[in-house]
Amino acid sequence: MKTQNKLQFASIVYLLMVLLFAGCGSSGNKTEVPKKTDSIRATENPKEASVPIKDTANKAAVAPVSNDVSKVMIYNFHVTNRCASCIAIEEATTKTLKTYFENELKQGRVKRRIVNVDDEANQKIAEKYQAFGSGIFVTRIYKGKETTTDLTGDGFKFAKNKEERFIEILKNKILEYLK
Amino acid sequence: MKKIACLIIILFSLTTFAQQKGDTIIANNPSNLKLKVLYFHVTNRCATCRSIEANVRKTLNDYFLNKIELGTIDFYVVNCELPENKELAKKYDAYGATLAITSYMNGKEARTEDLSNWAFQKAHDAEVFVAELKTKIEDYIK
Repeated sequence: MKTQNKLQFASIVYLLMVLLFAGCGSSGNKTEVPKKTDSIRATENPKEASVPIKDTANKAAVAPVSNDVSKVMIYNFHVTNRCASCIAIEEATTKTLKTYFENELKQGRVKRRIVNVDDEANQKIAEKYQAFGSGIFVTRIYKGKETTTDLTGDGFKFAKNKEERFIEILKNKILEYLK
Repeated sequence: MKKIACLIIILFSLTTFAQQKGDTIIANNPSNLKLKVLYFHVTNRCATCRSIEANVRKTLNDYFLNKIELGTIDFYVVNCELPENKELAKKYDAYGATLAITSYMNGKEARTEDLSNWAFQKAHDAEVFVAELKTKIEDYIK
């Protein structure tokens, strides 16, 4: 009977340890790089992008837009192991685009890319924007000239707990850049 | 069964304590106060948020330790999601990671600067972060 008790005790301890370590194992391992979370793999040349599109925002790349019309490019950068704030920034960006810029997305005047900076394929674009972790950048492209605003700080400050504030900031920046 | 119950309690305590770290509030002498440095964060933090805190701490430890001891500079690191910090977070519009500094003149608040966007831009270059923050702080406490 004593041996049976010991056996029971040992198996419960083993089970608890397995549960504990399974929970901890989800972070810190950067060797596995799931690329499925990227809605598009960013490249210098958008025509090279071949990863299946998840976001409706990216489906807009249809008709070429003239160089004389301002275009806006939004980049959501992230690492493989994402925190709640980083996810909230991406979600708020999606909401902003779907709510206020549906037409511009269809026209191709506004585009968005979600980029995993841990993926080697995205190294160039991450370097260009100096994005080493989570970040959101809004770039205006007009007559071949690019102007960029980094909204990462605002994103981290508002997107998770005050989403409407971040949506307002992002919306205003896009509107300003579309002028 | 007692042993199992004890073990479960210990394991739960370990995981809970690992996630909860107390706020840092250093305010040594209100009559000498010239600058408050405040960093707000959420409960589940990312690497960038932690590096910002580390860089702010490094700046203060390396260059302004005596000012902190004298009470010329106060330093706050607080979780903006905790109920006890709600009012302070609201005052600074801090609903997530936020770095702010407030200057004081004759015991009254003079000017607040939000450095969050700057902090996220420089977070990954500790050397530049520390050097620029040092200059900003020096300007405020002249």
